[in-house]
Amino acid sequence: MVNKLPTEIFMPPNVLMAKVGRAAGAIDMSAVQRAEAAIDTLKVEFDDWVASDVQRLGACRDRFAAQPDHAAREQLFLVAHDLKGQATTCDYPMIARLSSSLTRLFDGLKPTETVPVGLVDAHVAAIRVVFRDKIRTATDRMSIIVAEELEARVTETIEAARAG
Amino acid sequence: MSGYRFDRLKILVVDDNPHMRKLVVTILQAFGVVQIFEAPSGDRVWAMLREVNPDVIFLDWQMHGMNGIELVKMIRTSSQSSNPFVPVIMLTGHTHIDHVRQARDAGVNEFLAKPVSVRAIMSRLVSVIEHPRAYVRTKKYFGPCRRRRATDEYQGPERRAATTEPVQETAVA
Repeated sequence: MVNKLPTEIFMPPNVLMAKVGRAAGAIDMSAVQRAEAAIDTLKVEFDDWVASDVQRLGACRDRFAAQPDHAAREQLFLVAHDLKGQATTCDYPMIARLSSSLTRLFDGLKPTETVPVGLVDAHVAAIRVVFRDKIRTATDRMSIIVAEELEARVTETIEAARAG
Repeated sequence: MSGYRFDRLKILVVDDNPHMRKLVVTILQAFGVVQIFEAPSGDRVWAMLREVNPDVIFLDWQMHGMNGIELVKMIRTSSQSSNPFVPVIMLTGHTHIDHVRQARDAGVNEFLAKPVSVRAIMSRLVSVIEHPRAYVRTKKYFGPCRRRRATDEYQGPERRAATTEPVQETAVA
């Protein structure tokens, strides 16, 4: 027997349009330019932002290495995830890439599976070096080699876990 | 000049990372938004919603405590929700299609992958103003229609009004 579900579809009043007025959907380029200029003024803070998150990453790594429980694992993942989302905006695309690899390691392993601390350490060390050396491009040759190697190790680790 | 009166909007920015909040707030202020509220966690937002009654929420996915997905589900379905229709624009470092589907299935209106850009934020804001989605209520889901802008683009006769037919919605990125 087919389970019949009552379905209701309706369009609520467009209260946003009523508030802001109709503007033909055009992107306000002057507002975009103002916002881009505002971000330029923030750029002097970007290094401090990344420094703060890299420091948090190191602290979370230390906690995780000392006691690799669920809470420590979650904290480390969240900081790496923050860096993944933010580092490119802050002109550190390689940190974003390395952080993405680290989050993939956590995402790819089940909560009951061990996250290899050595591989975490290698990511954290690479992120620290990229920041220390102010590598602000995604094309730095040595950084790419390191990132590719770490990404391959993450893939191997996840595949090994899946293979049992 | 677009003519949008962004100064009339109340926007809530929810992210546990203060730097990301500052970035989004700075962009919104440059757009002309004046009434901007910030929250560092999903738990704090729930208490703020009734007081602030925002017009739009920019919401991070990964947060300590209640995450963005849990929060948007509560906003849509809790009997205590002050506005289950409030547009939610989800900011996230997740970019896999499965994550997009998960966000849509929770009731997110728009999905914005980090790193954020000024144009992407403007685009999502204009989208929730100009192309609001119809809302769907089924036994298992309440929230924006997951078929992207179907009702907005279709000008013909009504295809699916209140019905008792089995429903299988499709999440479309």
